[in-house]
Amino acid sequence: MSENKIFVSPGPHISKPASTRSVMFDVLIALMPALLGAAYFFRMRALIVVGTCVVTCVITEWLICKIRKQRSTVGDLSAVLTAIILAFSVPPMIPAAYLIIGCIFAIAIGKMVFGGLGNNPFNPAMVGRAFLTASFGMAMTIWSVPANLNAQLPQIGPEGAQICESYNAQDLEGITQATPLAWAKNAIKAKSSEEAQEIVNENFGHSQLKATLFGYTGGCLGETSAIALIIGGIYMLIKKTITWIIPVSVLASAFIFASIFHLAKPDVYVPPLFHMFSGGLLICAFFIATDPVTNPMNPKAQALFGIGVGVIIMLIRTVGGYPEGAMFAILIMNAFTPLLDRLCKKIPVGGIPNAA
Amino acid sequence: MGPALKQVAVIMSQHIGAPCKATVAKRQEVQANEIIGDSEAFVSAKIHSPVSGVVKDIANRSHPVLGREIAVVIDVSEDYSPKLPSPESFEDFDLSKYSQDEILDSITQCGIVGMGGAGFPTNIKVAPNEKMPKHTMIVNACECEPYITCDYRVMMEWTKQFVAGVKLIKKASGCKTVYIGIEINKPRAIEAIDKVLTETKDSENISIVSLKTKYPQGGERQLIDAVMGKAVPTGTIPPMIGLLVCNVATAAATADAVVLKQPLTHRVVTVSGKGIKNPGNFYCPIGITVQELIDNCGGMTTDAVKVILGGPMMGFSIADLNTPTTKTTGSVLVLTKKEVNQNKYLNRQTNCIKCGRCIDVCPEGLLPCEIANSIKAGKIDRAMDFYMTACMECGCCSYVCPANAEVTGLIKTGKILNARNNKK
Repeated sequence: MSENKIFVSPGPHISKPASTRSVMFDVLIALMPALLGAAYFFRMRALIVVGTCVVTCVITEWLICKIRKQRSTVGDLSAVLTAIILAFSVPPMIPAAYLIIGCIFAIAIGKMVFGGLGNNPFNPAMVGRAFLTASFGMAMTIWSVPANLNAQLPQIGPEGAQICESYNAQDLEGITQATPLAWAKNAIKAKSSEEAQEIVNENFGHSQLKATLFGYTGGCLGETSAIALIIGGIYMLIKKTITWIIPVSVLASAFIFASIFHLAKPDVYVPPLFHMFSGGLLICAFFIATDPVTNPMNPKAQALFGIGVGVIIMLIRTVGGYPEGAMFAILIMNAFTPLLDRLCKKIPVGGIPNAA
Repeated sequence: MGPALKQVAVIMSQHIGAPCKATVAKRQEVQANEIIGDSEAFVSAKIHSPVSGVVKDIANRSHPVLGREIAVVIDVSEDYSPKLPSPESFEDFDLSKYSQDEILDSITQCGIVGMGGAGFPTNIKVAPNEKMPKHTMIVNACECEPYITCDYRVMMEWTKQFVAGVKLIKKASGCKTVYIGIEINKPRAIEAIDKVLTETKDSENISIVSLKTKYPQGGERQLIDAVMGKAVPTGTIPPMIGLLVCNVATAAATADAVVLKQPLTHRVVTVSGKGIKNPGNFYCPIGITVQELIDNCGGMTTDAVKVILGGPMMGFSIADLNTPTTKTTGSVLVLTKKEVNQNKYLNRQTNCIKCGRCIDVCPEGLLPCEIANSIKAGKIDRAMDFYMTACMECGCCSYVCPANAEVTGLIKTGKILNARNNKK
């Protein structure tokens, strides 16, 4: 009677119009304030770095799918997301050739060898960054002053100030300087407590706190502007793209850790708010640790994961050899993810059934 | 009314428990309400003919869940006039006229089963059990799923009959208190029932509980949690903690059975969805085919792509429109291309990204993605470690899944595989 072609499938027959692509797209939207910030502070460099990463990552993923004769997974936008997060976590002056190598590694070894999105144990962007750090240590630690030279930041000493004065701002491609976290590290490593206190007093006042909050400071491309990252994070929380557990546990544990150190030795350890706003802590809390694939699924395990990330970041910043530890913290905790999930298995509503 | 009813096919397994054997033979004449299927087994329910006519055949018909099942096919005789509901018979209902045994006997004789979906024989559920004494009865007036409105219409139009049924089941089961759980998006039903309760006798200890409108509020365990704030222990059923849950349609059918000695041969069915030209609720004989129901509603629209027996979340999509309705069919939905998920329609699934959305929404507090991925990998044991059997298949996990994986479908498959393993 009816001409309709009807089809069958298991229930439910209606569902939320969400897809992996829409989830990834939300995260990309949330990254836009930071991208605009990067474009403002680092001008062309920002566009070159982000552009190189996005193009390389997408081409790599497409090629691998082609080679393996699979349907291309580029459409889920996860390669774009990996590219932008990797771009945000490298110094602005890094040569494009290095970036291309890092991106290929991130996508090919970080994700595709495991079978693509969903199966990778480690965050691909952080895998790529770790590869770059290990291979091109020098290039990964040269930080440029933001393009607007009104930087209220620690200058690089008298010679640096001279260079700044002798060039017209437009002619410069970039001037290097130390990041706030490097200063904080110098204070810890200082030979005498007087020297340490001098560094702290000189570099960590109210004006500098403001600089780290808004972003006119040295640092990785997308990490400098704390406020842009916070806006992005709040957007994702409102859209329910991420839950609050991981960001809050990362930030709270890092804050408590930093506070304890600061209260114990205020002349050596910088105020906790500096740690909050500088380096990769915020991008890590909102964008990297919340990567669903590589973090635990159980709420309790997620809290432990977040605390682990926050504590390891602060341990590396205060006790370890590097000024920043977000990358290591993420990779280490990624390795613990399956274990945490097993330890904190969720209990059904009616309790654990009696073994009958 | 559309074309006159020509034929019905009454399936012999309409309930949980042993299927009935046909007690009539081919070419035999049957009268309406005559028993046509029965079983000796304890867990079973009698089946009656909804119409008068001649048995044309006893043959396999499509069943939404069980595949093909034996059915008694009856050609409706020409002088048969369709049965109409009679809610007016309950105007001066008097509970004291019926004894406990009488009520239980009527329920058994009339083949009443749980009409919410499971189809568990009501006589066994209601009868007092020394091992599991029941103290509280909860009436599920939540309208389990979107689209469906058959219970709502029964509460609105047959209020007295529904309340009479509740009182009868309360008396038969020996429950002390009764809670009627209604979602607050049905204020008129709450008002109507409240009015009847205050106007009639024997209404003590029966109270209405208005509940938040959400899915799955109508799940037995969710309803108990919402009404009493009590979680039914995993792996057990409500009677084990002294609770009796019963559905609106079942209560109304019980009233019919006890007062009018009317067997369960007809029920209210919602025919809805954007793919139906004239949707509505219909009082129809059990055994009418889906095709006939759809034709009576003006047929399907051209963009209809899916026909579902049951709700949009837990219902079963069918391929054969000659599938007959059963005692548990509360709705027939016809969905259009726009209503069904496009990604699922095109079978566009992606990898699980372990986002945990399914975990957040699971009303039973399970890890649906872990269970589904284990089953996908063929590891039923691992799925059992994640309490696969506690899943009630509400479909929330599939609903939210951004990868569009058939999470619920996989868990259903896993349960079947597990049952097969256990049989060996």
